[in-house]
Amino acid sequence: MPRTVSLLLALTLLAAGCSSTGGLRAEQARSRAVSSAGGAVDTPRWKVAMVTHAGAGDAFWDTVRKGAEQAAAKDNITFLYSNDAQTQGQVQLVDAAVDQKVDGLLVSLAKGEALAAPLARAKAAGIPVISINSGQEFSARFGALTHIGQDETTAGQAAGTTLAARGRKDVLCVIHEQGNIGQEQRCAGARAAFSGQLQTLYVDGVNLPDARASIAAKLQADPALDTVLTLSAPLAATGLQAVQDARRSVELDTFDLGTQVVAGLQAGTVGFAVDQQPYLQGYEGVDLLWLYRYNLDALGGGKPVLTGPQVLTKDDAAALAQYVARGTR
Amino acid sequence: MSAPQDVLTDTGPVRHRHHSRPELGALLAAVAVFLFFSVVAESFLRPASIGTVLYAASTIGIMAVPVALLMIGGEFDLSAGVAVTTTALTSSMISYQLTAITWVGVLVSLAVALGIGSLNGWLLARTGLPSFIVTLGTFLMLTGANLGVTKLVSGTVSTKPIGDMQGFASCHWLFASQFTVGGLTLKATVWWWLGLVVLGSWILLRTRFGNWIFAVGGDAAAARAVGVPVARTKTCLYLGVGFCAWVLGQHLLFSFDTVQSGEGVGNELIYIVAAVIGGCLITGGYGSVVGSALGALIFGMTSKGIVYAQWNPDWFKFFLGAMLLLAALLNSYVKRRAERGPGR
Amino acid sequence: MTLLELTEVGKSYGAVRALEGVSLEVAEGRISCVLGDNGAGKSTLIKIIAGLHQHDEGRYLIAGDEVRLGSPRQALDRGIATVYQDLAVVPLMPVWRNFFLGAELGSFRLDIPRMRSIAREALARMGIELRDVDRPIGTLSGGQRQCVAIARAVHFGARALVLDEPTAALGVKQSGVVLKYVAAARDAGLGVVLITHNPHHAYLVGDHFTLLKRGRMAGSHPRSGISLEQLTTEMAGGSDLAELSHELGRSDPKERPPT
Repeated sequence: MPRTVSLLLALTLLAAGCSSTGGLRAEQARSRAVSSAGGAVDTPRWKVAMVTHAGAGDAFWDTVRKGAEQAAAKDNITFLYSNDAQTQGQVQLVDAAVDQKVDGLLVSLAKGEALAAPLARAKAAGIPVISINSGQEFSARFGALTHIGQDETTAGQAAGTTLAARGRKDVLCVIHEQGNIGQEQRCAGARAAFSGQLQTLYVDGVNLPDARASIAAKLQADPALDTVLTLSAPLAATGLQAVQDARRSVELDTFDLGTQVVAGLQAGTVGFAVDQQPYLQGYEGVDLLWLYRYNLDALGGGKPVLTGPQVLTKDDAAALAQYVARGTR
Repeated sequence: MSAPQDVLTDTGPVRHRHHSRPELGALLAAVAVFLFFSVVAESFLRPASIGTVLYAASTIGIMAVPVALLMIGGEFDLSAGVAVTTTALTSSMISYQLTAITWVGVLVSLAVALGIGSLNGWLLARTGLPSFIVTLGTFLMLTGANLGVTKLVSGTVSTKPIGDMQGFASCHWLFASQFTVGGLTLKATVWWWLGLVVLGSWILLRTRFGNWIFAVGGDAAAARAVGVPVARTKTCLYLGVGFCAWVLGQHLLFSFDTVQSGEGVGNELIYIVAAVIGGCLITGGYGSVVGSALGALIFGMTSKGIVYAQWNPDWFKFFLGAMLLLAALLNSYVKRRAERGPGR
Repeated sequence: MTLLELTEVGKSYGAVRALEGVSLEVAEGRISCVLGDNGAGKSTLIKIIAGLHQHDEGRYLIAGDEVRLGSPRQALDRGIATVYQDLAVVPLMPVWRNFFLGAELGSFRLDIPRMRSIAREALARMGIELRDVDRPIGTLSGGQRQCVAIARAVHFGARALVLDEPTAALGVKQSGVVLKYVAAARDAGLGVVLITHNPHHAYLVGDHFTLLKRGRMAGSHPRSGISLEQLTTEMAGGSDLAELSHELGRSDPKERPPT
């Protein structure tokens, strides 16, 4: 008897507590709208593997994966994803993909030389390879068809130019992975294209509360700073909190997009975002492999296919919001 | 409770035989994992795939051997993962900066690896602090030194390629070569792994030193009281970790040509997981080298089997954790049985 | 012949004087008992004899030579084996490995078949029949473990055996068995130092009794010079006890603390 009562009570609470906006239901409605298109090609069921150097649970790579999955659905392709942040692990995963005799391979080349041997193995097995995201200087040498990604120095320069155009004088560039070459290149590129002061600050990107305190402390210590430039979406959100903590009216600009970055663009707390369109890297990777298989097509003419930098400001924010919310931007 | 006539006569049935086989649980688990992936993943049994799985297992297993011995000796080494990177970085930078043949770097890094091992052992003996704390300290120091020294010397966070240097070919042959038998490609690490398992197991079970390993881990005070040199035994075990870190580090260098300075963090726990799944007690005094090899094999089969089965790899760590808990429970059950005495 | 002899031995840990002016003598084929309450200095005395600690005062002679032992190994090399109450053996190791621990056969590689059979035989000679010397020694009872440790000391040619509270954690029956093996060791010609707080056990086998109290000697008697009753009374506190019973007798039953 008491069990029936508590069950009824629980049901009542559930019914009364339903939200009419947002939540899972809204998300499902959005994704139905996206995936209504079915496969339209008549090619056989090919298999494409993507092996990245991503750490576990990285939002950026989740967007890359979404793009690849979408293209795979369209092109009648079975898409396999695996990742390992350590060189040895990524090499073994590429080997495993070659063992499976996949029909195409997408690899991020952040670890450079280490991937030469497994990619030679892929080539010997007749598997076409496209490199994505990082390592464009290795791409051609390792026998990849092309490279899809963003040149970090160019992206940094785009940020520097925009900073100058916005009249910023004293910028703090926040590096959150000590020893990441791509992040160093972004800050260096920004410095090169920017006439004002630009200093770098190293914070611990896997310990966000600590990063927040470090940025806030730096802002309090240096009153001349008028801009914070972060290098990823999670760090942008952390940076916004740090700006509040420090009670300073400095501008925050960032690389990459995320829900909070777009909300910030709309609200005016974020000045601009330099995006490299991760969705496009996954989508084009799969699609170009399909084109190569189907029609022996290759894009780029031996040069990298650039997906960025794309500078986004308040004007773009309203249109972007819905795409960010569904996880494709 | 009915006491036997003479308490000193072993009248009960011989029922504790399985205590001498700590790796039994791991063997059963390994067979189960193998059969499972053979069924669900069609490409799992291809010779090329088996080669890849063995390679993955060997890069864990080479370090799981000394880590298991150390755990049987009652201590941890949290610096084992980054020490591998340290030896690779040392070898690469010494050869490159001195423009010496690569064997110079290889030998200097061996000295560095043994130095790290003896430092850990010495700190443990001198300070009397738990090895968890001591090696946590050296772990953090090595992590920082790897990054700091590499950036200081090379200007970037990875080392310069040494593939065109004299001696590279012979070093590559020793540490990173591979050859194919009937479609099965075996990397050099697999042979190193097998050799180390045989050597480690022989030392543990067939030598005087092996007897001491069990004793210092099981009860250091009792061992000291009968004349076992406890501190020296433990230092030797840390030297073993250093040596194997050197082997694996040289493999990384000579197969990948360059080394990333930030790597290796977190692997020390994977080695401990392999040892524990293989039957090592976290409190020391009990375990097996062959078990650690089975633990590494389970790790290799699971991590790559999920890829061959075309599953979402996001769940891999969950399964690994569940397996670790099961193994640890089994082991602690065994230990309780062993310590409680007969018939209870 | 006198195997080991301590004369006016003392030991301080910093400002704490743990032992002062203690003398003790152990001869071949004799059992010398050391009795004392908790904190009387028994464990300090054992550690000095066994080589774990060094004495700061007095003289320590082994077979007539004055020594200062730096490690348990040195004590063992001079024929002095110590069996500790709580750390006699390594519980998870098989019986035969424990038996040979610290004195393994073979220079580096173990001669395992011989070690197994010798362990089995040596135990059998002491009357311990174990069918399976491969079982972890932790599966044996406390008394059995003490006996294996004693058998080990006898086998490895110890001339003097130091036993730390061998019967403390045991029941009556097992205590009896252990004392039987202590007597067997004596009959084999060893000198035994038996450390205990149980005068009944001590009187069953002892030839000489030394009493310790707060780190000092409170009495030293040959068996002929003392009866069990006297020993028990002295051990239980002697005059202290009489005083205590006087006080307890006077107190009002109502004020007694609840038990």
